[in-house]
Amino acid sequence: MAKRSRKDTKLSSDPAQLQANFDAIRDPANAEYQAWRAPERPRIDVAIDTSSLANGAAATQTAIEALSSDRNAALDIGRNHGYGMQWLQPLVTITWPDGSSVIYGPVTEDDAAAIVDEATGRDGAASELAIGMLAGKRGDIPSIRDHPFFAEEPRERRLIARIGFTDPESMEHYIGSGGWSAMARVLYRGMEPAGVRQELIDGSHGGRGGGGFPAGVKWNFLAGAPDPEHYMICNADEGDPGAWVNRIVMEGDPHLLVEGMTLGGFATLSQRGFIYIREEYPLAVERVEQAIRQAEAAGLLGANILGGDFSYQLEVVKGAGSYVCGEETGLISSIQVQRGQPRIRPPFPAAVGVFMKPSNVSNVESCAHVPLLLQHGHEWYKEFGTDGMSGTRLYSFSGDIPYTGFMELPFGAPMKEVLAACGGISGGAELKAIQSGGPLGSLVPASSIDTLILENASFAPYDAIMGSGGIVWVSDRTHLVIINEFLSTFVEEESCGRCTTCHGGNQRMTEIFRRIMAGNGRREDAFNLKLIDDMLQQSNCVHGQFSPKPMRNLLQYFREDFDGLVVDRHDSTHTIPAMTQYRVANSRDPRVEDAVAICPADAFRGNAGFRTIDDAACIRCAACLEVAPGAVVREAKQLEPLPVA
Amino acid sequence: MPLETEARAELRELVTDFKPNDGKLMAALHRVQHRYGWISRESLEVIAEQLEMFPAHVYGAASFYDEYRLEPPANTTIRWCSGPACRLENANGIRDAMLATLGFDGLGERTDDGRVELVNGQCNGACEQAPLVWVEQPMEHSRRVVGKLTAASAIRMARAIRDGEAFEEGHETVF
Repeated sequence: MAKRSRKDTKLSSDPAQLQANFDAIRDPANAEYQAWRAPERPRIDVAIDTSSLANGAAATQTAIEALSSDRNAALDIGRNHGYGMQWLQPLVTITWPDGSSVIYGPVTEDDAAAIVDEATGRDGAASELAIGMLAGKRGDIPSIRDHPFFAEEPRERRLIARIGFTDPESMEHYIGSGGWSAMARVLYRGMEPAGVRQELIDGSHGGRGGGGFPAGVKWNFLAGAPDPEHYMICNADEGDPGAWVNRIVMEGDPHLLVEGMTLGGFATLSQRGFIYIREEYPLAVERVEQAIRQAEAAGLLGANILGGDFSYQLEVVKGAGSYVCGEETGLISSIQVQRGQPRIRPPFPAAVGVFMKPSNVSNVESCAHVPLLLQHGHEWYKEFGTDGMSGTRLYSFSGDIPYTGFMELPFGAPMKEVLAACGGISGGAELKAIQSGGPLGSLVPASSIDTLILENASFAPYDAIMGSGGIVWVSDRTHLVIINEFLSTFVEEESCGRCTTCHGGNQRMTEIFRRIMAGNGRREDAFNLKLIDDMLQQSNCVHGQFSPKPMRNLLQYFREDFDGLVVDRHDSTHTIPAMTQYRVANSRDPRVEDAVAICPADAFRGNAGFRTIDDAACIRCAACLEVAPGAVVREAKQLEPLPVA
Repeated sequence: MPLETEARAELRELVTDFKPNDGKLMAALHRVQHRYGWISRESLEVIAEQLEMFPAHVYGAASFYDEYRLEPPANTTIRWCSGPACRLENANGIRDAMLATLGFDGLGERTDDGRVELVNGQCNGACEQAPLVWVEQPMEHSRRVVGKLTAASAIRMARAIRDGEAFEEGHETVF
């Protein structure tokens, strides 16, 4: 069957013709998608996303393909996106002709035979790998929705409803599952741009970038800008370490973002849009670019969309490893051929944005919710959430938990239950802090866990922010100052260099943390850090203004830990190198020679059987401890406490 | 006007479809780096001509970003993930162990023979594999994730790469 292309689309401003033009795209897509969901013969979909690939999905796919080809097996091989349980990657889904689907994992290349056997009729061959039913019923496999990891998710997902159920690289799957119908309906029903924006306001749709500013109001600013040349920009420069929720949308359902950005273009009277994606997400860049090309070819993007009067051009700009480009004016600078340095606001982008023209910068998830909001209405959208923030949002969870992955949760989800869904703190350790909002975010104390819920207002009393969706659970196994030194180094390195307050202030903050970690803390350090905090807040952009926040939280809630390093100069976690020492506890243990061999610093002294560790040469990397546990031990090294003033 | 060489003509051809004042600098720099592995002074000049900018402006922008290389890449880049989940799994110890193995004082350095470099990397959310590094061959557009490291396994990896031995571990991912 020849693919439809945009030249088949009849130009018209007649609503019936626009609708007919969309039906001509949708009907074959529906048929194609239905056939994919209930295939003629079993199909094995290997999850292909950044997480699955990091866990070996490419090798799994190759092994399944090779085996199925060797056996001439009566099955097909496809692709989807991982369902959220990243610790069980590589995930693989088998779909049978009756439309039932089972998710398996972790499926390594060695498990290829079990999966192919299962798909070709040897029921139970892969039962040990089965995680849950994605759709339908098959034996006594429980629904994936009953998995404890998803206990806090609504029974039905919304923003990520397609994940697992479509091939993210197929526009037909997107359209066949309801995609592009919101945009098409807006056009053939002759909805006004203001009506689209009002729907966002009625849904109390808050921006998902961290601030939570009402997206509809922000879009009104651009729509009302006097200069007629408008630009719609999507901020996909998701740079917070530990946050990857935008990546899930872009790799898992890229067409949703493209449709959301097209609705954004329509609603803000823009002629052109940019999606600025960070360089570290090559697969997201690939999939979003492909989705744009597919939409253009179908006549859903570009000149005269669906044959009507609305024209809109969308393109991807790939970043190059600069965190500060995630600040909206930095991002605008980066698009318009400059260093990605933020500038002072006002003027705000709605007045002076890219190419000095009115612009709007919206977060990935802010845009991706819009097609759903229009499709189902604002009442549906508000079914979840709190008084302050409506709807659901994506979160990524990592750190000292057994279950790393992502969830779509309603605003207001209780953190205690969320931690339980993540499997609790691993290895018998205790929760120490919650790192939310990335390097410009917070360190919320563990004592908050009983009352903390996932919405901005709940974090605010802690002088903290929830941020853009990345939550890192920090246990007491690692000294918290290690996290502070990391965050401080990050904001220092990523400062654009324009304001002395920011680049100089963050240098001083980093130096102080490193000096404290080296065992040379001074009594005035807390006072000086407070001065740095006050000064950084005078920076021109949020990068500088927010950069002292984790340090402030450290002094507010973890003063004992801070003083432990500065005053007592003692670290009971044995993770601060200067306050830790390694010692040969049993020099007759033969594994000590393995330790000698692995040591990258040649720190062992003496002959075999009489080994000791030279403390001055030892770099505390822990390699010897790993190869000779018990024979080499790690202990606290008590430094001379700070003299009394 | 600088001398038109064959190399220059090839560069010009590579960026010929980019228009001035159209937000194409990032894309032009990426395309040159993708083709040659780095961005030479000559290519900065050609991009400047194409986009009707001053070469100094192009250099200023290119040098602002971490991922544009203004000198040829090493054969192998070990990119150490500096993210929070890795830090909670002894990433600092792993970094220091690799630095010691390769004889470096800090990240961003290269072995004397120029073959191996160790650089800072940013979290991309495969934190279930923490602590991890990416081992890259920029000229081959190849990247592997080596995850769930220990200090000992990182040392063995760094020694193998340093000594030019075949290193096949890890999982292939998108470059």
